Amino acid sequence: MKKKLTLAVLIAASATAAVAGPIEEQIRWRQSAYSFAAWNISKIKSQVVDHPETYNKDSVAAAANAIAAVANSGLGALYGEGTDHGIGWKETRLKPEFFQKKEEVTKVANTFNEASNELAKVAATGDIAAIKTQFGKVGESCKACHDLIRIKDQ
Amino acid sequence: MKVTIHLWDLPHRLFHWLLAASVAAAYATAKVGGEWIDWHGRLGVFILGLLVFRIVWGFIGSTHSRFVTFFPTFSRVKAYVKGQWEGIGHNPLGALSVIGLLLTLGVQVGTGLFANDDIAFQGPLFNFVDKDDSDKLTGWHNSSINVLLGLIALHLVAIVYYRVAKKTNLVKPMLTGKKEIPRVLAEAISAHEATRAGVIRFALSLIISSTVAWGAAGGIAQLPQLTKITNPCCSVSWATAETSQPNQATPAASPQQTAQAPASF
Repeated sequence: MKKKLTLAVLIAASATAAVAGPIEEQIRWRQSAYSFAAWNISKIKSQVVDHPETYNKDSVAAAANAIAAVANSGLGALYGEGTDHGIGWKETRLKPEFFQKKEEVTKVANTFNEASNELAKVAATGDIAAIKTQFGKVGESCKACHDLIRIKDQ
Repeated sequence: MKVTIHLWDLPHRLFHWLLAASVAAAYATAKVGGEWIDWHGRLGVFILGLLVFRIVWGFIGSTHSRFVTFFPTFSRVKAYVKGQWEGIGHNPLGALSVIGLLLTLGVQVGTGLFANDDIAFQGPLFNFVDKDDSDKLTGWHNSSINVLLGLIALHLVAIVYYRVAKKTNLVKPMLTGKKEIPRVLAEAISAHEATRAGVIRFALSLIISSTVAWGAAGGIAQLPQLTKITNPCCSVSWATAETSQPNQATPAASPQQTAQAPASF
């Protein structure tokens, strides 16, 4: 029952989102981008950190390339004025301070880009220890951004 | 005239300093993130073990470790506030602080087991709850750390206050286990002189606490009757299973190819 209700709410929400204006569209796209990155992050975490016996070079390299692709896709375009409020797939968690902290944001965004590109390079070598270290750096860059401009669960 | 009495037993002291060190380390690893977040998770499970140990020890440990000895009942707190309380070990206010710290740490560890950081970390029992519930518990985890930090600050301020204003060193007994007290007081409370708990009780507490920690670290998910509760949809295991098998069969894929495209989809 609860699941059906959730499903109904989700369908209603996505239907609303589909006809919503450009702000909601930006929010929805960026939420999708990070969800896709999260899926790829979970693959690397599983194969490199939690269960290294399942490590597969191609799968990890593909995941790293996907993360780098998200990082290099020009996500900044999805942070237009007014996108600190609004519902994409769900309510955005962007802090309004985002727009006052342009310099710091650029810095953390660049760190994420560099760390992700480096991860893609390292993943291609198949050096599992190096991948693990670089993967940690990508995680740090995610955290730096979350700490700066993402509303925490309270 | 002063006499030296045995106050804190060795397991109690070990518990205290291991707890202090692991809470500090857990805080630091959470702040740094990245690769260290996995250590944060391990420390959390270790702290859970310590807490369970302390609770068991509170029932079967030596005299001054037992909750009955120091539990801050209303009458004890009232007597203490009036300046009429006499005893050694945790005084009633200190006991309130002890219980507050244990409860808050319990909340911190309990929520952490189900938490996630929306990056690459999930608590060991994450799969037992929905993502939304995990997010909610993560929120509590983020909030209750402030209560914990407040209680720790109070704890440290109290130690300094006792040192400076009351000329009482609280740290030394927690290191050596021994405390100097006036002979009169020692005679008045001679019935409460610490009894030794013994190795068997220590071993029992250790077994109980490590079993709970093992269960929380994911051991519980391996119990056959519980596996159906765990979330089978996880993209992780699906992705690994999907991609690893065909590739093991064809290990000859060239590096150039692999950097370009996923080998199987």
